[in-house]
Amino acid sequence: MRNKINVWTFTTIAALVLEGWALYVVGSSPAHWRPSMIVKDEPAAHALYEKMIETIRQAESLSYQSVCSGPGAKYRSSTYEILLKKPNYFHVEMSNFMSGYTTLVGDGDNLWFYWKGIRPFSAYEDRDSYEKTRENIYIKKAIPIGRYSIKDQINMFGMVWFGIILDPSTFHGHRDSLEAYIDGIRSRGTDYVNNEECEVLEVSFMKAQQTRYYWIAKKEHLPRKIKEIVRLANNIVEVEEFSDIKINPRIQEQKFTWSPPEGWQQWEKPGPDDFLLKPGTKAPDFELLSVDGGTIKLSDYQGKAIWLYIWQCGSPACREEISHLQAFYENHKEKGSVILGFNCADDKRIAQYFIRENTITFPSIFDSSNAAKKVITDGYKNRSGMVPLSYIIDTQGNVVDSWYGYDEDHKRASAALKKAGMQLE
Amino acid sequence: MRAYELLKETFCRKLYILIVHLSWLALYGMFYWLTLPDAGEISGFGRFIFIWGGFFLALALSAGIFGDDISSGRICVLVTKPFPSGELYIYRLLGLSLQAAVHFVLAWFVIFILHVLMGKGSMDNLGLWLFASWLLFNTCAALSTSLSVVVGRAYNALLLLVVFVTGFFVVSWLMNTTQQQAETGVLFSFIKYACPPFELLSKFASGEYGKYSLTVGRFSLTKSVACVVHSLILTVVYSIVGIVLLSRRQFSRVCD
Repeated sequence: MRNKINVWTFTTIAALVLEGWALYVVGSSPAHWRPSMIVKDEPAAHALYEKMIETIRQAESLSYQSVCSGPGAKYRSSTYEILLKKPNYFHVEMSNFMSGYTTLVGDGDNLWFYWKGIRPFSAYEDRDSYEKTRENIYIKKAIPIGRYSIKDQINMFGMVWFGIILDPSTFHGHRDSLEAYIDGIRSRGTDYVNNEECEVLEVSFMKAQQTRYYWIAKKEHLPRKIKEIVRLANNIVEVEEFSDIKINPRIQEQKFTWSPPEGWQQWEKPGPDDFLLKPGTKAPDFELLSVDGGTIKLSDYQGKAIWLYIWQCGSPACREEISHLQAFYENHKEKGSVILGFNCADDKRIAQYFIRENTITFPSIFDSSNAAKKVITDGYKNRSGMVPLSYIIDTQGNVVDSWYGYDEDHKRASAALKKAGMQLE
Repeated sequence: MRAYELLKETFCRKLYILIVHLSWLALYGMFYWLTLPDAGEISGFGRFIFIWGGFFLALALSAGIFGDDISSGRICVLVTKPFPSGELYIYRLLGLSLQAAVHFVLAWFVIFILHVLMGKGSMDNLGLWLFASWLLFNTCAALSTSLSVVVGRAYNALLLLVVFVTGFFVVSWLMNTTQQQAETGVLFSFIKYACPPFELLSKFASGEYGKYSLTVGRFSLTKSVACVVHSLILTVVYSIVGIVLLSRRQFSRVCD
């Protein structure tokens, strides 16, 4: 009898310990942001990261294939065949099950963007214009050395495919805009990718709003895999895997030249601004959650000139502008105007940390519900999802002006606010 | 011999059990055939098997597993043989689990044959989805079997179905309306860890603890193992509840 009790006691304790361990492991998922995710810099790991960038930049030519994918969407994975040559040549072929084939050619002076067959539908165009321009068209742009990004060109299209993580323009000397926001780089040991031994680095950006893991081959310090985690209201995970990497390969010259076949037309892609609410339109009213847990209603500010500022923590431009916005708010809040921050994308913890760090006091909406997202995409016509987006709304609730990007000297905002009813000296 | 008879009984106790197995297998085949694109992936199909095989199959096979015997008075014969009630419970649950294991192996063959014949879809990760479905089946079957001890006839499965469907809609509504609020976080944690691990196992099967996990290195494998351990322990906990309930009940020879 005593033995039986002992066995049961032992089994129960073992089961409890095992379940405790299982819950700890399963529950300790970094699904939610914590300050401890901000990586502290390790000089050796940082040096290895720099070595990777240097290796990419020092090559005279470089070719590789990369496959970008994310969870649960294998059919959306994209394959990129990339050829790069100094001083300013590139050839990128993108293929995707949903979107077909797209080619980018950099001939030293210009970028040529064209499609084999029918081009995919872009996020910010309407169906009518798409039907007229879906075939036999190309885009041409100037490419000043080191001052353009192939990655941005691909991402600006807003297609259904996964974009690249490592910007091929790094090879031409372009610096990733996120590099200025690196919190730190640390080593995560070694791992094997396709039987190649790699050093794993963890890099966090913008107080861990983004984290990237780099698997860097010990052999020649080039990446074999990159995993990117973007912490918004939900985590977005993407993986880029590299293969067939060749340093200084011989690449045929004709890969870097292209001229439009006869009958093809240059296409001016519509910009995201084209869809914003026009001046004089009534600004859609909303009532959404504020950062302090209450609610904010747009119509409660009627009688004031409103600067509706739609932003995200992960945008370098927003981070840059928002501290200047606070100063602007302090100087103008007694003059019949208000700045209303609007964030419907971020993890609330990250946003609150950012707000505290920058001592932001102007009223701010923090609501990642579908209703809040609908206000922005449908109500305020932010079809591209780009930020920062500013709307100036007058005392009657009508739109006076709207624009994307950082208005560095606030000249446009001041002029629009004055027109909207703010008393400026 | 006694064990074999008890295990066999879980399959032979009703004619519809064989029909359920066959129709479920046909359903997998049809879903695979109709919905999978040529260059498709297994994840959508995996989720289908996970829900149909892991949850609905468990409900269908465990419906009235004790409730029918209790209602008919047969349970008195079973527990007075003498037959330790714990043993009765364990063999019945084991019988269900073995049936499910064979069922999922057959499902793999059905899909494999369709895949080869039609050249459609993919077999990637299918094994993992079937394993996750089997784990989910075990927890759901244990819960349903325990419920069958206290709920008459086959209403245990119906009750579980209603509870889960209601729970699903309540949770979806809460997630939409109270996103990122601490109060609901506790509720979600309870649902995640104390109820059958739908979310954890589907993440495990879809590879979220692997290639696309939020971490790197061996931790991802550890997490998959922890997920399996948690699921098995939940099955044991639900079973213990059922065994305790069964051993404490006084059964009457009179039919309900």
